[in-house]
Amino acid sequence: MTAACASPVADERLIDYWTGDLPADDGAALEEHLFSCAPCSARLEEVASLAGGVAALARQGRISGIISRALLNRLQRDGVRVRQFTLDPGETVPCAAFPGDDVVVTSLHANLAGVRAVSLRVTGPGDTVFGAVDDIPVPAAATGILWATPGAFVRSMPSQQLRLTIRAADDAVLGEYVLEHTHTEAE
Amino acid sequence: MEQAIDASDGELARAVAARAPGASEAAESELYRRFAPRVRLYGLRHLRDEESARDLVQQVMLLTIEKLRRGDVRDPDQIASFVLGTSRTMATTARRTDARRERLREAFLAPDAFASPDAGATLDLDRLEHCLAQLVDRERSVVLQTFYAESSAAAVGADLGVSEGNVRVIRHRALAKLRACVLAGRQAS
Repeated sequence: MTAACASPVADERLIDYWTGDLPADDGAALEEHLFSCAPCSARLEEVASLAGGVAALARQGRISGIISRALLNRLQRDGVRVRQFTLDPGETVPCAAFPGDDVVVTSLHANLAGVRAVSLRVTGPGDTVFGAVDDIPVPAAATGILWATPGAFVRSMPSQQLRLTIRAADDAVLGEYVLEHTHTEAE
Repeated sequence: MEQAIDASDGELARAVAARAPGASEAAESELYRRFAPRVRLYGLRHLRDEESARDLVQQVMLLTIEKLRRGDVRDPDQIASFVLGTSRTMATTARRTDARRERLREAFLAPDAFASPDAGATLDLDRLEHCLAQLVDRERSVVLQTFYAESSAAAVGADLGVSEGNVRVIRHRALAKLRACVLAGRQAS
């Protein structure tokens, strides 16, 4: 019988339960409800499915954007093949992704002392904006940011020069970097 | 029981316990159909592994049906509580087995040898990848740290320099966006 639920559980609570952020007693009470309520159980299934999908994508290196050091460590521990390029401010580094690289992580060092958030702008030839990320949180003691791009995408990119700029919230430039990218995908 | 699908959980449990010819089989199937997904979710939540969750479903549902048939379930109207209680007991045992398996795995096998084969199997991962890329960076970070790195809201908050409550809000908003985006993709195809 799939009757409508008389007291539906809020989405936030279902997510907190799934992530282990609900106190144990609350979790136990919620489980009593879930086992006797098909609609709420089906909604939890949706949360679980999305969560499982996100984890599956990460395990395949199909993630992009700024990632934390903890996330990078987790990827490497899980056997995701990470190709990493590390740049100091003002540095130019040749880069490419090769078959078998799941994800490319560019590690940009900068002096971030006292900085709480930065932005990253990536431009290609002719100042074409290749990517822009605003409001990147900077944890205390951070010495740079990590930018992830799926290996398959990097392999498909044409050979070109990419300029990366990190700016503080007041627009001050904290670091400029250049990647000399070489196309590697078979034609 | 001709219309098991319309019966309450308690009615189904009583039909199995009564072992009425021609009725109990349909009732058992319907009980399995209803509770197996809930036990699987419970298993995924507590054991964090698709294979272990599937094993839990088989063990719990088998025991439940056997106990009902033997008349060992005191109150069939409370069958949901019975299934939950059985899931809790068996998951505790499974956790011990998994811990032993994990130690063996760390000692002898490559890290991804036990990767869940079914994670995301019912989802269009290409679509989800597109949807994940559409999130603003902070939302994507929270989602990845929560559902991949399995970090608590407090840990994610400390990493991103925001409060635990704020992480929960971002997480909820991001998941709602992902769900809407995935659904839009399904409807378009």
